[in-house]
Amino acid sequence: MAKVFIYPATSLILSDLVARFGHTPLSAAQSIREHIQTAGLESPPLQISPEDPKKGLKYAAVEVPSGVRGRMSLYGPMIEDADAGIIIHDADLAFGCMGCARTNELIVFLLKKRNIPLLELSYPVNDEEGAEFVAAIRDFLTRLGGVK
Amino acid sequence: MSEYIPRYQGSVTKYIFVESPEMTPQDLAVRAYEISGGAMIKETCFGLQVTGTADEVGKIIVALRELDPDHIFVKDRGFPPGDPRRCRANLGGARPGFFGHEFEISLIRHVSYGLHALTGRNETSIPHPPSPSTEKKLDLDKLKKLLDAQEP
Amino acid sequence: MTTPVRIAQLSCGPEYSGVQKEIDQAAKAVDAEIFYPDISLADIKRDFTKFGLDVRSPDLKLAIARAKALVDGRVEADAVFIATCFRCAEAAIVRNELRRFIHENSKLPVVSYSFTERTTAGTLLTRMEALTTIARRRALLARETQVGLTLGLDSGSSTTKAVVMRDNKIIGTGWLPTTDVLESATTVIQLALDMAGVTREKIEAVGTTGYGRFLVGEKIKADLIQEELTVNSKGAVFLADCQHGPSTVIDIGGMDNKAISVQDGIPGTFTMGGICAGASGRFLEMTAKRLGVDITELGPLALKGMSAQVAMNSYCIVFGTQSLVNALAAGSSKEDVAAAACHSVAEQVFEQQLQEVDIREPVIMVGGTSLIEGLVFAMGELLQTDIVVPPYSQYIGAVGAALLSSGFIKEK
Repeated sequence: MAKVFIYPATSLILSDLVARFGHTPLSAAQSIREHIQTAGLESPPLQISPEDPKKGLKYAAVEVPSGVRGRMSLYGPMIEDADAGIIIHDADLAFGCMGCARTNELIVFLLKKRNIPLLELSYPVNDEEGAEFVAAIRDFLTRLGGVK
Repeated sequence: MSEYIPRYQGSVTKYIFVESPEMTPQDLAVRAYEISGGAMIKETCFGLQVTGTADEVGKIIVALRELDPDHIFVKDRGFPPGDPRRCRANLGGARPGFFGHEFEISLIRHVSYGLHALTGRNETSIPHPPSPSTEKKLDLDKLKKLLDAQEP
Repeated sequence: MTTPVRIAQLSCGPEYSGVQKEIDQAAKAVDAEIFYPDISLADIKRDFTKFGLDVRSPDLKLAIARAKALVDGRVEADAVFIATCFRCAEAAIVRNELRRFIHENSKLPVVSYSFTERTTAGTLLTRMEALTTIARRRALLARETQVGLTLGLDSGSSTTKAVVMRDNKIIGTGWLPTTDVLESATTVIQLALDMAGVTREKIEAVGTTGYGRFLVGEKIKADLIQEELTVNSKGAVFLADCQHGPSTVIDIGGMDNKAISVQDGIPGTFTMGGICAGASGRFLEMTAKRLGVDITELGPLALKGMSAQVAMNSYCIVFGTQSLVNALAAGSSKEDVAAAACHSVAEQVFEQQLQEVDIREPVIMVGGTSLIEGLVFAMGELLQTDIVVPPYSQYIGAVGAALLSSGFIKEK
């Protein structure tokens, strides 16, 4: 079972398909859950504290806006942990955890830098593309091994 | 600064979306309650949220998926259901993630079609989608607008 | 219990910078609540396209669509708070354009802020207070004439000022450097009362503003305790006699600077800054000391000098002073150094803050620093306009407080 970073990390479609075809999606929810379920000091709504942008310094310099570094503290460790990645290119309507374009550019760059298997796609806009989309993902995930 | 004591520590929450001509969120809920065991089920407009141990939630999902495999979609959630920090009633408006779901749900029928088309077929028999870096196909609506704009 | 003022938040990044709780806390402290305008995905797609600023970040698209919903009246709010990450160029453009858009197309007071992970509720408090004051006290802020016998006190970080007014005229003033907040206040009040020839008992209403407003206000049982953004705006348009129409108020203070775009005496957009002392009145005080002149002599001295002769543009008071020492050591004249110091402060306020408000004439400079002619001249040069410095400009907060507090006389 491979750990597959999904982009957008909030994608319902990718979360579902990766899990459906037998692998583990690495998504924003896991990292948010970790924050929400860890005791500490109150920092609503996401329990991301001013310490988190500092952790993000590992991935982006201090001159990079705090929001980018805070988001990178969620994604950086997952990118390092990923065995593979699926990237949807026209994911420009994913908000919140994927709401910052600069962070998103950095995520894709860091994924590419890791030299892990990556599948790059666009969202399907008709049935024909839907079939191609699903087939490509299943094919990609099958090649990663361990498909149920 | 006050101390934060997390609720539902060690639990997992998953969204289960149903977008099907054959099944409603209520149908899904009925089945979920039957097999819920110790897990918490919360009905929503799009389907359900299930909260429990990873094992409990995993089993429920396997069972629910069987009902309509091509039209049921599952996603992890960081927050437990009804958390005041994400609740629309407290925020005034929807949390940002909601719009992302709204967007993907609008085209998920194509994914359902793909899943159905793929049943029993080898994926290599279906062409690989073009790389996103190549030029995108002309959108049908755009083509129509171009045609309409033509002088007769 | 009053109904909380509802402040719509348009933002990108505070939740991920760990500062959302600070924003919420600052709002709560002034009995306001933050909310997010409720819209749908279809609204976002339509309104983002319609607005025409093609940014990439989805959360900025969301902010744009939410701003449209507010301006169109589809979502009701009392005020707007725009917050994005410091150092993000894309967000800075959106922040500016949204502030302008809301200001021009609605009556909603709006304040924008660029935060870092270090931003605290304390930093945001005065801004939030001003937003709620504008939303809650429109009727009070509409007051144009002072009536009766009232006292205004401005407890600032550098100086404490008091003014006694009777029937729309200033009849007494008091001024002292702030040492012990309460002691300084008590003394300047007495100075102003003595000059006016009245006793404390005769005063019909009292207003306080400035950093020490709560402490002093409670002690002297003030009728009005209000932040300096709204009070100074009111005082400025009153003294400059431009209570109607647009104006811009610039107040370079001892600890922070304010730039306020005013319409009919009520702030529309405003910024408060003060991260670096190199852009404050404090720097000019140090310059005067180093040049061996009184602060009152610095302005006339600067008018005789040429700022371009001396390189001085440090954002930091320590390095700024170093440039000053270097220039003197290199043989620069006192006049040129004084002019350069004034230009440096004006330029930094211009670059850091005036870009964030729409400068509309007349531009009124107030506060103690407005008495430094060299600074006013430098600012006028940068803004290409004749700056108005009204009489009693150093007492602006105290005048505003005395004027507004007269609204409480009838209630007694």
